[in-house]
Amino acid sequence: MHRNESPLPNRPPSRSTPRDSALYDSLILRTVSRLMMPLLLLLSIYMLLRGHNLPGGGFIGGLLASSAIILQMVAFGPKTARRILPVNYLLLAAFGVFFGAIWGLPAMVAGLPYMQAFWLPEPIPGVGKIGTPVLFDIGVYFTVIGVTTKIALLLVEEPSLFPLPAMKPAPVEQEEGA
Amino acid sequence: MLYPLVLIALAAAPLALLARLPGRDRIAWGLALIPLAIFGLTLAQAGPVWEGGQIVERIAWVPALGLDLSFTLDGLSLLFTLIITGIGTLIVGYAGHYLGADSGLGRFLAYMMLFMGAMLGLVLAGNVLTMFVFWELTSVTSYLLIGYKHDYADARRGALHSLLVTGGGGLALLVGLLLLGQAAGSYELRDILAAGDVLRAHALYPAAVILILLGCFTKSAQIPFHFWLPGAMQAPTPASAFLHSATMVKAGVYLMARLSPALGGTALWDVTLAVVGGATMTFAAIVAMRQFDLKAMLAYTTISMLGALTMQIGLGGKYGAEGVATNILAHALYKSALFMLAGVIDHECGTRDLRRLGGLRAYMPQTMVITALALLSFGGIPVMFGFVAKELMLEAALETDLGATLSVLAVAAIAVTAAAYLVTGWRLFSNTFLGQRSMAAMQQHVTDPVPGMLIGPGVPAALSLIIPLALLGPISGLIGPASTAIYGKPLEVELALWHGVNTALLVSLGAIAVGVGLARFGEQLANMRGWPAWSRGDMIFDRLIERTLAGATALTRTIQEGRLRRYILVTALAMLLFVGVPFASFGLGAIRFDLDPQLQFYEVLAVALIPVGVLATILARTRLGAIIAAGVVGAMVSLLFVLFSAPDLALTQLLIEVLSTVFLLLVFSVLPVRFESFSAAWVRRRDAIVAAAMGLLITGLVLATATNDAFAPLAPFFLENSLEKGKGANVVNVILVDFRGFDTMGEITVLFIALLGIYGLLRLRQGKNDVAPERVTTAEPAAEPVDTKR
Repeated sequence: MHRNESPLPNRPPSRSTPRDSALYDSLILRTVSRLMMPLLLLLSIYMLLRGHNLPGGGFIGGLLASSAIILQMVAFGPKTARRILPVNYLLLAAFGVFFGAIWGLPAMVAGLPYMQAFWLPEPIPGVGKIGTPVLFDIGVYFTVIGVTTKIALLLVEEPSLFPLPAMKPAPVEQEEGA
Repeated sequence: MLYPLVLIALAAAPLALLARLPGRDRIAWGLALIPLAIFGLTLAQAGPVWEGGQIVERIAWVPALGLDLSFTLDGLSLLFTLIITGIGTLIVGYAGHYLGADSGLGRFLAYMMLFMGAMLGLVLAGNVLTMFVFWELTSVTSYLLIGYKHDYADARRGALHSLLVTGGGGLALLVGLLLLGQAAGSYELRDILAAGDVLRAHALYPAAVILILLGCFTKSAQIPFHFWLPGAMQAPTPASAFLHSATMVKAGVYLMARLSPALGGTALWDVTLAVVGGATMTFAAIVAMRQFDLKAMLAYTTISMLGALTMQIGLGGKYGAEGVATNILAHALYKSALFMLAGVIDHECGTRDLRRLGGLRAYMPQTMVITALALLSFGGIPVMFGFVAKELMLEAALETDLGATLSVLAVAAIAVTAAAYLVTGWRLFSNTFLGQRSMAAMQQHVTDPVPGMLIGPGVPAALSLIIPLALLGPISGLIGPASTAIYGKPLEVELALWHGVNTALLVSLGAIAVGVGLARFGEQLANMRGWPAWSRGDMIFDRLIERTLAGATALTRTIQEGRLRRYILVTALAMLLFVGVPFASFGLGAIRFDLDPQLQFYEVLAVALIPVGVLATILARTRLGAIIAAGVVGAMVSLLFVLFSAPDLALTQLLIEVLSTVFLLLVFSVLPVRFESFSAAWVRRRDAIVAAAMGLLITGLVLATATNDAFAPLAPFFLENSLEKGKGANVVNVILVDFRGFDTMGEITVLFIALLGIYGLLRLRQGKNDVAPERVTTAEPAAEPVDTKR
């Protein structure tokens, strides 16, 4: 079923969201998200580290961390979100892929297939067992944070999504691309 | 140890970047020690080869595929290796002078080293697949060399033509070599050469021969693929001298010579080579005679000589083999000298147009002497090495087994070619050095170049004279094993200047007489009306490229018109065609319906809510309704994961649902408040049918995999080994990061690429950079809360 992606003809002429203001201006949201931010980040690291034995892991941890950042973005606007965590998310995503990839290499040095696992003999107190799969999972974690957050930032800072005035009425479409 | 020969050249490439430092010509001569060292290393271990033996070595490369890097040094490889490294030494040193003022010299020499390594790998490869890898490497590196002056459109065009023609031929060659390997049962050259009789009787033989010859003809610029070679003259002269005297274009000849013991002896092989080679030789010799650009002249004579070599392989026999080996060496010597001399003249006079040169004998006497030597060998004048080689070519034509007609035609073609060479040589010499002082000579202070620049052309030109006078014995020792490899049976070679008065000598002298007679009329011949422009072939090729690109653009516009719904439609249709049709034809039987899943009522409820949510999403009239209904679907799927004890999946699904909702929120304001139908009714019906078919297909596939135990289930393996081998109790995570870690690696890479795509779409659109977000913000100060009314 087709829904037209174009704005409705009867949109108000001027409706852009300034990019340095919150998407929703709400005191409750601001207060809660300010309090939740460190908790969510901690939770995401907790989820990441416990992932090998209990539900969690790099993917879930990464999604949690980026929801924390995106929550800031919704409550305070992208500029504030960038200021609180001044991270280049594009680079973070690239670093994640790189970091994940290099932990497959030790096995090749030892003459084993790429990504063959190595583990430290004893678990580290408070962290757990450390081996190349866990480090690889950290790469996944960074990639997911970088990708998800960067996409959100790109969308919210995109002027054409919050378009300029004088939108022309969308032409009524008979058939697409025949 | 053969592979270090290749490795040294490849590894030396970064070293060449040193030539950015001052003192470039000395650094280049220092770098020239590298090919010289390879030359020495080759000679040092070539002992058994002189006796007719060969050195073989294998390195396991991809053992799982039975693919080895194997290298062989026999007579033919030795001849080529010595030519490549010997001429390479001179040209690298020469390039330091020629490009001394060019800031890109380091880059150029690095390409040269890479190319040399690729070429060495090609001629030393003992396995046709190894050889193919290096074959393609020579195409790529020569592309870089030809396109070195990449800010000139002609250089880019020449490089592209060369890459497309030789690369396209390379594709044919790959298939041909695979067929050959299939027929012979091995990809090792030794086994293929030993399986000649089996190969010639094999059903795949004609296909393999045609495809291999396509590869060789494109690489060695045979008609009708010859047009790329003159275009490749856009390369800096040192590259032309290297690529077109000794190396790149000889690769096709090398492969034909290499395979002729196994594939030759049939009409298909012999007659094709003799006819195509002979035609190329004669045609290009006549075209060369009429050129005005020094390098174009040399380019066409190179094509002509490649044709001559191809023809001799086809003519076959003892003299054919000897002639190929001798001509390869003779041509490499005089042609590299001539190219370098053309570079010297261009470098000193600023032009290489024969109409603007002249009278240089008083200013460049040393250059003139060296040019004369090289041209005498090129013209096949007695006592020069070129003469010895031409005599063997004539013998090959006289003694061929291909019948009297072809024999006579070949002799006539060689005679015409020899006469044309003389005219070409005379025109080149007289227009450059004799006659009136030209504008170029008067305007500039033209002198002989620094001595270092004359070493390059001087050595091979001198050898063209010294070899026949003093070194025929040792050179016969080199030609002998090479001819043996081409002939397939042991050959004793005694090169000689004087064979007594025989037919070959008479033909040769006759051709010289005609050539000398015609030389007087060289300029008239050159100015006569020639073939129409299209006969050069490069315009036709340009049009072919244009058409192909236009076709590709049209196809892309149809399939990828830029609207998401079109992409989804095309993807769905493709999947229905390529997965759905085979599955409906053969896979339906795999679904079993006789299972008793023992469902609980809450499971049924969760499942039943999913289609309700889907329908509600489709039918929703408002944007908020659609988002909420889609959320119901996600929530129910998460619930299912919880019910089936998959907390990881449930967590992930929930988080994804949350984030999706946030993302939807971001585009919320541009979604229409109320949905309306803009598409025509039949479009909506079509889409409904495609969507339903996709749903059915996926359902069927899932049912077929879940209810069928034709494949051993993987789950028990993961459950048993997760803790023990993966050191983790969370099986899902252990699968993700350990058992199937490589898949996850791929997935995060895809995620990153998707991010780059989105980044490109949103940030890097044309003209987008002018509009900074701040400007938009100031233009639109009204902070308006997002509309939430239904």
